[in-house]
Amino acid sequence: MSGTLHSFIQLAWRNMWRNPRRTLITLVVVSAGLWSILFFNAFLNAWMQSSKDATLKLLIGSGQIHAREYMDNPNIKTVMAPPGARLRAALERPEIAAWSARLVLPGVIQSEYKTRPVNIAGVDPATERRLSSIPAKIVRGRYLNGVDDDGVVLGLHMAKRLKTGLGRRVILMSQNADGTVSEQSFTVVGLFDANQKTEDFYVFTGRAADQRFLHLNAEISEIAFAVPNDADLDPVLTRLRAAAPQLDVRSWRQLSTYLAATDSMMRGVIYIWLAVVFSMMAIGIVNTQLMAVFERLHEFGLLRALGMTPRRVLMMVSLESLFLIGVGCLVGMALAALTIWGLRGGIDLSAFAKGLELVQGGQVLFPKFDLASFVVFPLLIWLLGILVALWPASRAAKASPVEAMRHAT
Amino acid sequence: MRKMWHDGKFATADLRQGQEWGRHAILKAALGISVLGLTGILGTAPLQAQTARQILKSAFDNWRADSSYAVTTMTVRRARGTRKMTFKSWTKGTSKALVRFIAPARDAGNATLQLGAATYVYNPKLNQVIKLPASAMSQSWMGSDFSYNDLARSQKVVDDYRQKLLATKRIGGRTVYVIEAIPKKGKPIVWGKQILWVRRDGVLVKVEYYDQLGKRVRAMSADKIGRIGGRPYPVVMTMRRDDRPGTFTRITTTKARFNIKIPAYMFTQSNLQNPRN
Repeated sequence: MSGTLHSFIQLAWRNMWRNPRRTLITLVVVSAGLWSILFFNAFLNAWMQSSKDATLKLLIGSGQIHAREYMDNPNIKTVMAPPGARLRAALERPEIAAWSARLVLPGVIQSEYKTRPVNIAGVDPATERRLSSIPAKIVRGRYLNGVDDDGVVLGLHMAKRLKTGLGRRVILMSQNADGTVSEQSFTVVGLFDANQKTEDFYVFTGRAADQRFLHLNAEISEIAFAVPNDADLDPVLTRLRAAAPQLDVRSWRQLSTYLAATDSMMRGVIYIWLAVVFSMMAIGIVNTQLMAVFERLHEFGLLRALGMTPRRVLMMVSLESLFLIGVGCLVGMALAALTIWGLRGGIDLSAFAKGLELVQGGQVLFPKFDLASFVVFPLLIWLLGILVALWPASRAAKASPVEAMRHAT
Repeated sequence: MRKMWHDGKFATADLRQGQEWGRHAILKAALGISVLGLTGILGTAPLQAQTARQILKSAFDNWRADSSYAVTTMTVRRARGTRKMTFKSWTKGTSKALVRFIAPARDAGNATLQLGAATYVYNPKLNQVIKLPASAMSQSWMGSDFSYNDLARSQKVVDDYRQKLLATKRIGGRTVYVIEAIPKKGKPIVWGKQILWVRRDGVLVKVEYYDQLGKRVRAMSADKIGRIGGRPYPVVMTMRRDDRPGTFTRITTTKARFNIKIPAYMFTQSNLQNPRN
């Protein structure tokens, strides 16, 4: 039997190259389809990763800690004490690359021309620089110098709305710890360029300066932390919850539900693309294989007349499809791997930066070679391809020797 | 007058577009109106003094020392149309004021009470008194070019600014002092400077507000100074924003009495909600 199988394999392989043009067409269809799936997958993943990174690195971090009531009602009463020894120890673990304690409370910013509601964020520039990308996004002036810096850093769009600018005074107002309202003049020392939402929602000043402004001692309202490796996030959250059971520890998925939803949607999109591409490929495969079978009806009839069973004819034609689609998959994988390797320097999307800002994308995408998808998608295509090729094969098996012989001469 | 502001906020949704500006403006207008009006009233004693600060201080002192009652019409001109509202106001010293709207019908009953730093707003449609959060103090009062803050802080220009006499002019046969006021360092004031024109008899003729780059943002001017309640008084005052030509808020005082006795119940939340007058 193994001898038969061997000769069948040989037969099928030779048959495959008897009509090189048709074979090449099918190969192109399969390899281009697979290439598009693999590359699209890598591209989408890179995009997802970059928009996730961009959003999380902006301010959110991988997760945050607040007092229990803060998320429902952020105000001067829902602040918390700075982290104690236990929480501090949990935050200093190697899985956490950076953490930063902030005082973020709603208030009002006022210029000569306008008054806007805003979140006033008192930050420590030293820890903030390691966690957030905003310090590096200063386009005019400077970032804050220290926790005592009583200058204010505004977003570009906010400054434009307020019609204010570098070196000018703005008034910040917010409820203070005594229950009255503090108002103080702050000088604009820097302007940052992030997305418009962040620019409109946040202004930054030194944390200690903010605490003095609001008559607080050392209270803070949030601790943001960065966990570079996604797999570490859940254990880190568990440890932090254990270290600070009275506080509210949340991951970015809970903090930015929009981002989490986009994340899971993107994962679904690749399968939709796979379905679309595969149905096109199926049409191509079935069409060319059927054509081939019709052309070779005489040959199949002869084989039947020589005593080959319909089953074996089916097997032979299926083996041909298996080789054909298999080779197409290999070519497609090679092409996709080459493309991804060629783009390892990143895809620069800065030309579309304005449009991308809307979907929170980064500006340079780095498609990554992902072994799992290079196994799963070609296998899927291969199996599905063989499945649809069963139809032409069954037509071949049905070839009648008499019919075939009649056409022979 | 001051009380009108919050009612206005509820009633003048159509004017809301102007609120960013309008907030300040309304309050300021209202405050300014009160200030100017009172100043005028009290300002009959000639100012002899001569430092800029003294000139301003006596103008504001006159205003402050007094109690007052006035009936005022506020005209708010916007691109989409003009709105007229009439209100009664009572003031006592610098910290107590009650404004109650009496016309038009849709705004009537709206009232604002100011007690020191606290501002309460009564809306008859809601039948509720709301304490205005500080963040709302810079909002437009009744959709005008004044904010609640304008009403509340009129004398900051004396305490929180450094004044300088720029010029002494003769206008219409009267001496007018032109005073520049620059905010003291660290004071929570957004303006780069104010230029105040004060008549020798203590009537504030014009107040100009400049941004920190020296560009004029808005100006309030007394369009007509007449005698009312026995004093020279800016009967018609208009607040205009330089970046919104064609729009303004004008305050016309039709009736006023000064240094009158005002019952203590006037400035209470209970009177705000259930008027006894």
